[in-house]
Amino acid sequence: MKTKLFLLLLAVGAFCAVQPAQAHHAFAAEYDPMKPVTLNGIVTRMEWANPHGWIFMDTKESDGKVKHWTIETAAPSQLSRHGLKKADFTDGMTAVVKGYQGKNDPGLANGRTLVLKDGRSFYIGSVGGPNDGAEPQ
Amino acid sequence: MPSIVRTFAWLEGLGWTTALRESPYGYPLIETSHVACIVVFAGLVIMMDLRLVGLAFTNAPLAQIQRRLFPWQMATFVPSTATGILLFCVDPLRYYRNVFFLAKLVLLVLAGLNALAFHLKTYRRADRWDEDSQVTALARFAGAASLLLWSATIISSRLIPNNWFK
Repeated sequence: MKTKLFLLLLAVGAFCAVQPAQAHHAFAAEYDPMKPVTLNGIVTRMEWANPHGWIFMDTKESDGKVKHWTIETAAPSQLSRHGLKKADFTDGMTAVVKGYQGKNDPGLANGRTLVLKDGRSFYIGSVGGPNDGAEPQ
Repeated sequence: MPSIVRTFAWLEGLGWTTALRESPYGYPLIETSHVACIVVFAGLVIMMDLRLVGLAFTNAPLAQIQRRLFPWQMATFVPSTATGILLFCVDPLRYYRNVFFLAKLVLLVLAGLNALAFHLKTYRRADRWDEDSQVTALARFAGAASLLLWSATIISSRLIPNNWFK
Protein backbone atom coordinates (compact mmCIF):
# COMPACT_ATOMS: atom_id res chain seq x y z
CA MET A 1 0.00 0.00 0.00
CA LYS A 2 2.71 2.47 1.05
CA THR A 3 4.84 1.54 -1.96
CA LYS A 4 1.89 2.00 -4.31
CA LEU A 5 1.13 5.40 -2.83
CA PHE A 6 4.78 6.39 -3.15
CA LEU A 7 4.87 5.33 -6.81
CA LEU A 8 1.66 7.24 -7.52
CA LEU A 9 3.05 10.41 -5.92
CA LEU A 10 6.27 9.94 -7.87
CA ALA A 11 4.31 9.68 -11.13
CA VAL A 12 2.27 12.79 -10.34
CA GLY A 13 5.43 14.69 -9.39
CA ALA A 14 7.19 13.63 -12.58
CA PHE A 15 4.19 14.74 -14.64
CA CYS A 16 4.10 18.13 -12.95
CA ALA A 17 7.84 18.57 -13.45
CA VAL A 18 7.65 18.24 -17.23
CA GLN A 19 4.73 20.68 -17.57
CA PRO A 20 6.06 24.09 -18.64
CA ALA A 21 5.22 27.07 -16.43
CA GLN A 22 1.99 28.64 -17.62
CA ALA A 23 -0.09 31.74 -17.08
CA HIS A 24 -3.40 31.24 -15.31
CA HIS A 25 -4.92 30.41 -18.66
CA ALA A 26 -2.97 28.75 -21.41
CA PHE A 27 -1.89 30.90 -24.36
CA ALA A 28 -3.03 28.18 -26.76
CA ALA A 29 -6.55 28.14 -25.30
CA GLU A 30 -7.33 31.59 -26.66
CA TYR A 31 -4.60 32.86 -28.97
CA ASP A 32 -3.24 31.69 -32.29
CA PRO A 33 0.58 31.50 -32.50
CA MET A 34 0.22 31.38 -36.32
CA LYS A 35 -1.45 34.81 -36.39
CA PRO A 36 1.12 37.43 -35.33
CA VAL A 37 -0.17 41.01 -35.55
CA THR A 38 1.46 44.43 -35.44
CA LEU A 39 -1.02 47.06 -34.31
CA ASN A 40 -0.22 50.69 -35.00
CA GLY A 41 -2.89 52.93 -33.57
CA ILE A 42 -4.39 54.92 -30.75
CA VAL A 43 -4.66 53.64 -27.20
CA THR A 44 -8.20 54.58 -26.15
CA ARG A 45 -7.85 53.13 -22.64
CA MET A 46 -5.52 51.01 -20.53
CA GLU A 47 -6.61 48.87 -17.60
CA TRP A 48 -3.65 48.44 -15.25
CA ALA A 49 -5.21 45.41 -13.57
CA ASN A 50 -4.84 41.96 -12.05
CA PRO A 51 -4.75 39.13 -12.94
CA HIS A 52 -3.64 40.76 -16.21
CA GLY A 53 -3.98 44.14 -17.82
CA TRP A 54 -5.80 45.26 -20.96
CA ILE A 55 -4.90 47.78 -23.65
CA PHE A 56 -7.85 49.02 -25.70
CA MET A 57 -6.65 50.22 -29.06
CA ASP A 58 -8.13 51.60 -32.31
CA THR A 59 -6.34 50.88 -35.57
CA LYS A 60 -7.17 51.91 -39.12
CA GLU A 61 -7.82 49.09 -41.57
CA SER A 62 -6.58 49.29 -45.16
CA ASP A 63 -10.11 50.26 -46.23
CA GLY A 64 -10.11 53.19 -43.81
CA LYS A 65 -12.43 51.59 -41.25
CA VAL A 66 -11.55 51.78 -37.58
CA LYS A 67 -10.98 48.45 -35.83
CA HIS A 68 -11.24 48.09 -32.04
CA TRP A 69 -8.71 45.84 -30.35
CA THR A 70 -8.66 44.40 -26.84
CA ILE A 71 -5.09 43.43 -26.01
CA GLU A 72 -4.19 41.29 -23.01
CA THR A 73 -1.01 42.24 -21.16
CA ALA A 74 0.89 40.78 -18.22
CA ALA A 75 -0.06 41.58 -14.59
CA PRO A 76 0.95 44.90 -12.97
CA SER A 77 3.85 43.26 -11.10
CA GLN A 78 5.31 41.86 -14.33
CA LEU A 79 4.80 45.11 -16.28
CA SER A 80 6.54 47.05 -13.49
CA ARG A 81 9.42 44.60 -13.52
CA HIS A 82 9.95 45.34 -17.21
CA GLY A 83 10.07 49.08 -16.44
CA LEU A 84 6.59 50.09 -17.50
CA LYS A 85 4.48 52.38 -15.30
CA LYS A 86 0.75 53.07 -15.17
CA ALA A 87 1.59 56.73 -15.86
CA ASP A 88 3.17 55.75 -19.20
CA PHE A 89 -0.35 55.39 -20.54
CA THR A 90 -2.57 58.31 -21.46
CA ASP A 91 -5.87 57.89 -23.28
CA GLY A 92 -5.50 58.88 -26.92
CA MET A 93 -1.74 58.31 -27.21
CA THR A 94 -0.29 56.51 -30.20
CA ALA A 95 1.56 53.22 -29.75
CA VAL A 96 2.66 50.09 -31.56
CA VAL A 97 1.79 46.70 -30.09
CA LYS A 98 3.08 43.41 -31.40
CA GLY A 99 1.23 40.28 -30.41
CA TYR A 100 -0.93 37.39 -31.49
CA GLN A 101 -4.56 37.43 -32.55
CA GLY A 102 -7.33 35.57 -30.73
CA LYS A 103 -8.42 32.20 -32.04
CA ASN A 104 -12.14 32.92 -32.07
CA ASP A 105 -12.30 36.66 -31.44
CA PRO A 106 -10.56 38.64 -34.24
CA GLY A 107 -10.59 41.82 -32.11
CA LEU A 108 -8.67 40.12 -29.31
CA ALA A 109 -4.90 39.91 -29.09
CA ASN A 110 -2.21 38.80 -26.68
CA GLY A 111 0.35 41.58 -26.45
CA ARG A 112 4.07 40.76 -26.57
CA THR A 113 5.90 44.06 -27.07
CA LEU A 114 4.79 47.67 -26.72
CA VAL A 115 6.61 50.58 -28.36
CA LEU A 116 5.71 54.03 -27.07
CA LYS A 117 5.83 57.26 -29.09
CA ASP A 118 9.16 58.23 -27.51
CA GLY A 119 10.68 55.02 -28.86
CA ARG A 120 10.91 53.11 -25.57
CA SER A 121 10.07 49.43 -26.01
CA PHE A 122 8.66 47.11 -23.35
CA TYR A 123 7.92 43.42 -23.06
CA ILE A 124 4.25 43.14 -22.02
CA GLY A 125 3.66 39.42 -22.54
CA SER A 126 2.54 37.02 -19.85
CA VAL A 127 4.35 33.68 -19.63
CA GLY A 128 3.28 30.88 -21.90
CA GLY A 129 3.42 32.67 -25.26
CA PRO A 130 5.16 31.28 -28.32
CA ASN A 131 8.93 31.24 -28.04
CA ASP A 132 9.43 34.02 -30.60
CA GLY A 133 12.36 35.84 -29.00
CA ALA A 134 10.22 38.70 -27.63
CA GLU A 135 10.97 37.81 -24.01
CA PRO A 136 13.82 39.76 -22.42
CA GLN A 137 16.81 37.50 -21.86
CA MET B 1 -28.96 49.65 -16.40
CA PRO B 2 -30.15 46.80 -14.13
CA SER B 3 -29.56 47.52 -10.46
CA ILE B 4 -27.20 44.54 -10.01
CA VAL B 5 -24.91 45.92 -12.72
CA ARG B 6 -25.07 49.34 -11.07
CA THR B 7 -24.12 47.80 -7.72
CA PHE B 8 -21.20 45.89 -9.24
CA ALA B 9 -20.00 48.99 -11.12
CA TRP B 10 -20.09 50.92 -7.82
CA LEU B 11 -18.18 48.11 -6.07
CA GLU B 12 -15.57 48.00 -8.81
CA GLY B 13 -15.04 51.76 -8.62
CA LEU B 14 -14.39 51.90 -4.87
CA GLY B 15 -10.96 53.02 -3.67
CA TRP B 16 -9.91 49.74 -2.06
CA THR B 17 -11.12 47.47 -4.89
CA THR B 18 -9.31 49.66 -7.42
CA ALA B 19 -6.14 49.66 -5.29
CA LEU B 20 -6.26 45.87 -5.02
CA ARG B 21 -6.93 45.45 -8.74
CA GLU B 22 -3.86 47.55 -9.59
CA SER B 23 -1.62 46.29 -6.78
CA PRO B 24 1.65 44.52 -7.65
CA TYR B 25 1.68 42.30 -4.52
CA GLY B 26 -1.68 42.52 -2.73
CA TYR B 27 -3.70 40.75 -5.40
CA PRO B 28 -1.22 37.91 -6.05
CA LEU B 29 -0.96 37.38 -2.28
CA ILE B 30 -4.74 37.08 -1.87
CA GLU B 31 -5.03 34.90 -4.97
CA THR B 32 -2.29 32.57 -3.72
CA SER B 33 -3.85 32.34 -0.23
CA HIS B 34 -7.20 31.56 -1.84
CA VAL B 35 -5.78 28.63 -3.79
CA ALA B 36 -3.58 27.38 -0.92
CA CYS B 37 -6.57 27.29 1.47
CA ILE B 38 -8.71 25.47 -1.09
CA VAL B 39 -6.02 22.87 -1.70
CA VAL B 40 -5.83 22.03 2.02
CA PHE B 41 -9.61 22.21 2.48
CA ALA B 42 -10.31 19.95 -0.49
CA GLY B 43 -7.69 17.46 0.68
CA LEU B 44 -9.29 17.23 4.12
CA VAL B 45 -12.79 16.92 2.67
CA ILE B 46 -11.64 14.14 0.35
CA MET B 47 -10.15 12.24 3.32
CA MET B 48 -13.52 12.35 5.09
CA ASP B 49 -15.41 11.43 1.92
CA LEU B 50 -13.16 8.45 1.20
CA ARG B 51 -13.85 7.19 4.73
CA LEU B 52 -17.59 7.63 4.22
CA VAL B 53 -17.66 5.72 0.92
CA GLY B 54 -15.46 3.06 2.51
CA LEU B 55 -12.33 3.46 0.39
CA ALA B 56 -9.91 4.65 3.06
CA PHE B 57 -9.25 4.57 6.82
CA THR B 58 -11.92 1.91 7.30
CA ASN B 59 -10.16 0.68 10.44
CA ALA B 60 -10.48 4.08 12.12
CA PRO B 61 -13.75 5.12 13.79
CA LEU B 62 -15.64 7.66 11.71
CA ALA B 63 -16.36 9.89 14.69
CA GLN B 64 -12.65 10.16 15.42
CA ILE B 65 -11.80 11.06 11.83
CA GLN B 66 -14.55 13.66 11.80
CA ARG B 67 -13.41 15.13 15.12
CA ARG B 68 -9.82 15.47 13.91
CA LEU B 69 -10.54 16.81 10.41
CA PHE B 70 -13.47 19.14 11.01
CA PRO B 71 -11.63 22.00 12.78
CA TRP B 72 -9.02 22.10 10.01
CA GLN B 73 -11.71 21.97 7.33
CA MET B 74 -13.32 25.03 8.89
CA ALA B 75 -9.96 26.75 9.45
CA THR B 76 -9.30 26.56 5.70
CA PHE B 77 -12.87 27.02 4.45
CA VAL B 78 -13.34 30.38 6.19
CA PRO B 79 -10.20 32.10 4.78
CA SER B 80 -10.72 30.57 1.32
CA THR B 81 -14.25 32.00 1.26
CA ALA B 82 -13.10 35.38 2.58
CA THR B 83 -10.33 35.66 -0.02
CA GLY B 84 -12.77 34.45 -2.69
CA ILE B 85 -15.20 37.25 -1.84
CA LEU B 86 -12.32 39.76 -2.01
CA LEU B 87 -11.28 38.47 -5.43
CA PHE B 88 -14.86 38.80 -6.66
CA CYS B 89 -15.10 42.40 -5.38
CA VAL B 90 -12.00 43.34 -7.37
CA ASP B 91 -13.65 42.51 -10.70
CA PRO B 92 -17.40 41.86 -10.15
CA LEU B 93 -18.59 42.86 -13.62
CA ARG B 94 -16.32 40.35 -15.29
CA TYR B 95 -17.18 37.46 -12.95
CA TYR B 96 -20.95 37.75 -12.89
CA ARG B 97 -21.06 37.31 -16.68
CA ASN B 98 -18.68 34.34 -16.60
CA VAL B 99 -20.49 31.04 -17.13
CA PHE B 100 -17.87 29.04 -15.19
CA PHE B 101 -18.12 31.42 -12.23
CA LEU B 102 -21.91 31.03 -12.15
CA ALA B 103 -21.54 27.24 -12.40
CA LYS B 104 -19.06 27.38 -9.53
CA LEU B 105 -21.52 29.29 -7.35
CA VAL B 106 -24.30 26.78 -8.02
CA LEU B 107 -21.97 23.82 -7.32
CA LEU B 108 -20.69 25.51 -4.17
CA VAL B 109 -24.25 25.91 -2.87
CA LEU B 110 -25.05 22.27 -3.69
CA ALA B 111 -21.85 21.04 -2.00
CA GLY B 112 -22.65 23.22 1.01
CA LEU B 113 -26.22 21.90 1.27
CA ASN B 114 -24.95 18.33 1.03
CA ALA B 115 -22.46 18.96 3.84
CA LEU B 116 -25.08 20.73 5.94
CA ALA B 117 -27.64 17.93 5.49
CA PHE B 118 -24.99 15.37 6.42
CA HIS B 119 -23.92 17.19 9.57
CA LEU B 120 -27.41 18.07 10.77
CA LYS B 121 -29.21 14.83 9.90
CA THR B 122 -27.12 11.81 8.96
CA TYR B 123 -24.12 12.41 11.18
CA ARG B 124 -26.32 12.79 14.27
CA ARG B 125 -26.69 9.02 14.32
CA ALA B 126 -22.98 8.34 13.74
CA ASP B 127 -22.33 7.31 17.35
CA ARG B 128 -24.68 4.39 16.84
CA TRP B 129 -22.67 3.12 13.87
CA ASP B 130 -20.27 0.27 14.47
CA GLU B 131 -16.84 1.66 15.12
CA ASP B 132 -15.10 -0.04 12.25
CA SER B 133 -17.94 -1.31 10.08
CA GLN B 134 -19.62 0.30 7.08
CA VAL B 135 -21.53 3.51 7.55
CA THR B 136 -25.20 3.83 6.54
CA ALA B 137 -26.18 4.04 2.88
CA LEU B 138 -27.25 7.65 3.36
CA ALA B 139 -23.83 8.59 4.74
CA ARG B 140 -22.12 6.75 1.88
CA PHE B 141 -24.26 8.73 -0.55
CA ALA B 142 -23.31 12.00 1.20
CA GLY B 143 -19.62 11.08 0.83
CA ALA B 144 -19.93 10.26 -2.85
CA ALA B 145 -21.97 13.41 -3.54
CA SER B 146 -19.38 15.47 -1.69
CA LEU B 147 -16.52 14.01 -3.75
CA LEU B 148 -18.35 14.78 -7.00
CA LEU B 149 -19.62 18.24 -6.06
CA TRP B 150 -16.33 19.57 -4.63
CA SER B 151 -14.38 18.20 -7.61
CA ALA B 152 -16.82 19.85 -10.02
CA THR B 153 -16.60 23.10 -8.04
CA ILE B 154 -12.82 23.16 -8.31
CA ILE B 155 -12.81 22.21 -12.00
CA SER B 156 -15.26 24.99 -12.90
CA SER B 157 -13.21 27.42 -10.78
CA ARG B 158 -10.10 26.53 -12.73
CA LEU B 159 -11.96 27.27 -15.98
CA ILE B 160 -13.04 30.80 -14.94
CA PRO B 161 -10.00 32.52 -16.55
CA ASN B 162 -10.91 31.13 -19.96
CA ASN B 163 -13.41 33.50 -21.53
CA TRP B 164 -14.59 31.04 -24.15
CA PHE B 165 -18.23 32.08 -23.94
CA LYS B 166 -18.67 35.81 -23.88
